[in-house]
Amino acid sequence: MMIKLEQLVPRPLKDRLSARPSDIWNTTLTLEPGNIVKIKAPSGSGKTTLIHIIYKLRQDYDGSVYFDERPLPAIVENELAIVRQTQMAVVFQDLRLFPNLTARENIDLKRILQTPLYDAEKIDEMAERLGVKHILEQQAGICSYGEQQRIAIIRSLIQPFSWLIMDEPFSHLDNNNTRLAASLIAEECKKRGAGLLVTDLDEDSNFDYTHRYQL
Amino acid sequence: MRIQILTTRIDINFERAMRSLNTLLKKLIRTATGRKRFVMAFIGLSVAMLLILSAVQIQVDYNDLLNSKTNQDSIANFLVVNKVLTDRNLGATSLNDSEIADLKRQGFVEAVGLLTPSRFKASIQSASDRFPFFTDIAFESVPNDFIDVVSKDWHWDESSRFVPIIAPNMFLDFYNFQFSFSQNLPQLTQTVVKMIVFKINVYTPNGIMTLNGKVVGFSDRISSLLVPQEFMNWGNSRFANAANAKPSRAILRTKDPGNPTLVSYLKEKGLATDADKTRFSRYRHIVDLVVKIAWVTGLLMFLFAMVIFTLFIQLTIASCKEEIILLVTLGASPGQLRHFLVRQFFPVNVLIVLISMIMITGLQYGAHIWLARQNVYLDTWLGPTTFIAAAAILGLIWAVNRVTIRKYIRLSTN
Repeated sequence: MMIKLEQLVPRPLKDRLSARPSDIWNTTLTLEPGNIVKIKAPSGSGKTTLIHIIYKLRQDYDGSVYFDERPLPAIVENELAIVRQTQMAVVFQDLRLFPNLTARENIDLKRILQTPLYDAEKIDEMAERLGVKHILEQQAGICSYGEQQRIAIIRSLIQPFSWLIMDEPFSHLDNNNTRLAASLIAEECKKRGAGLLVTDLDEDSNFDYTHRYQL
Repeated sequence: MRIQILTTRIDINFERAMRSLNTLLKKLIRTATGRKRFVMAFIGLSVAMLLILSAVQIQVDYNDLLNSKTNQDSIANFLVVNKVLTDRNLGATSLNDSEIADLKRQGFVEAVGLLTPSRFKASIQSASDRFPFFTDIAFESVPNDFIDVVSKDWHWDESSRFVPIIAPNMFLDFYNFQFSFSQNLPQLTQTVVKMIVFKINVYTPNGIMTLNGKVVGFSDRISSLLVPQEFMNWGNSRFANAANAKPSRAILRTKDPGNPTLVSYLKEKGLATDADKTRFSRYRHIVDLVVKIAWVTGLLMFLFAMVIFTLFIQLTIASCKEEIILLVTLGASPGQLRHFLVRQFFPVNVLIVLISMIMITGLQYGAHIWLARQNVYLDTWLGPTTFIAAAAILGLIWAVNRVTIRKYIRLSTN
C-alpha cells in the first residue's frame, strides 16, 4: 500500500508550523511499500499528530492523505477496520493496551481480530525474543512501562500489515532491548515486504532507513 | 487436494479465532456491569411477554368459543324476528322490502328467510274416533335452508299422500305435561306422534277440502307448525281469502346471537326476538372489555420493558465506551462489535419468549381441563396465532436490539 501526503497541515499547529521548514508538513510526500522511514522530530512538532492522522484517528487537518490513490476520508467503518486489521499496524506512543486483559490476551486480540496470520505459539516465540515471556499471563495494567512497550510492539507484529507505523517505540527500553526489538521488527517487516515508519526525538541507527525526514 | 486441506485448516483456525475473540470481547464488554438492572429488565420483559402472549391466546380462545362448531348452539343461531307489537302498529306489522333488504345488509346476518303464514282457514282433527281431537289451526312455512329437521318425508306435491308437518317441541311438552293431565289423556312420545295420521280440513270457497297430515319431526327453532313451502304456496294461491300479504316475520341466521351490534340493531329498528337467545350480549360487553384491557396492559408493559431493555443495552455500551473505542481503534469493525453485542443480548430475549410460551401452554392446558368440566371446550394447546405472535415479537425485539446497538456503537465511536 502506498501512502501519499499532500500539503498536509494539522489545523491546531498551523501557525506554529508555517514559520519553520519541514520535510512533511505543507509538502507532497509519497511513502512507497518497503520504505523504511525515520521521522525525526523535536517535542511539540506534531509527531503524534502525524501518526494519528495517518492512522485516521483525527481529521482536523488541511491537505490530503491517500492510501493507494484512495482519499483517507472515504475509508470508513468496516473498510477502515479491514485496513487496520490487514494493512496497517501501529504502536502508539501511549501504547493503548487493555489494562484488564493479560499481556497475552492483548496480543491475541489483535491476532484473531482477522483471520490469524500466525498461530498462538508465535506470541510465546516473540515474547521470548523480547524477554517478556514471563509476564504474558500478567494483567497489562500492572506491567512496567518498558514491558508494556514490548507487548505493544509484539501486538503490532502479530497481525498482517503492509505498513507498520511506530510512535517513539523504544522510549522506555534500554539499548539491549531496543536492539532486540528493532531486529524483530525489521525481520517481520522484511518477511511481509512491508514499509516501516518510525518517529523519534533523535537520530538513531536502529534500522537501515531508506528515508530520513525532519518534521 | 492440498488446497482443500489448506482451506479446511484456515476455516478451523478462523472458527477457533472467532471463539477466542468472543471470549476476549466478553471480558472487555461486561454485560454484568448492571446486574440488578439486567434482572429488572429480564423480569419486566418476561411479565410483559407473558401478558401480551396471554392476550393473544385469550383472544384466540375467545374467538374459538364464539365460532367453533363444538361450542355453537344450533338453536340460538337462528332468530325469528318480528316487529314489536304496540298500540300504534296494530294490524301493520308486516316487514316491507326495504326493511328486509336492510336486514340482509347487516354484517352479523348470514342469511334471512321469510316466514309465510297460511292465509286460508284450516283445522285438524283425528282420523279415528278412538282418540278424538279437533282444533282450528294455522301454518307457517320457511325456506328449507332454515329447517333443522331431516326427514325423507319433507316434501309435498298434489299427489302426496299426506302433508308433512314439523311441530315445535314446545307443543308436545304442553300436551304431555299439562293438557293430557287435565283431559285425562295418555302421554305421547315423539315416535308415537309421528305415527299418527290425522285430517287437515282446508276451508275453501267451495266447501271443506280434507287432506291427510302427519308430524314428521320436532324442532325448537321456530315455534309454529311448519309445512313445506310448496304446500303453502299451493294453499295460499288457491284458497287465500285475502290479497297477497307481506310477511310479518323473518328468520335470520347469525354466527353470534350474543353480538351486541345485533341486539342494538334490533332495538333500534323496533324488532323483537327471543330475548333468551341474545342475553349473552351483556356478558359479551364485559368479556370484550377484559380482553381489551389484557391487550392494552400487555402492550404498555411490553413498551416499558423494551425501554428498560434498550436502556440496559445503552448503559452497557456507555459503561464500556472506552473499551469499544480502543477496540475500534485497534481494528475491530463496528460490524464485529454489533454482531457480538446482538449475540450477547438477543438469546436472553429468546429465553424470555420460551419461558412465557411454556407458562402460557401450562395455563391453556389448565384452562382446558377446568372448562371442559363445565362443558366449555378450549383447545388443549396453543394455537398457531400465538406462535406467530411470539415469532413476530421476537423479530421486533431483534430489530430493536440491532438498531439500539448500531446507534450507540456509532455514537461512542464517533
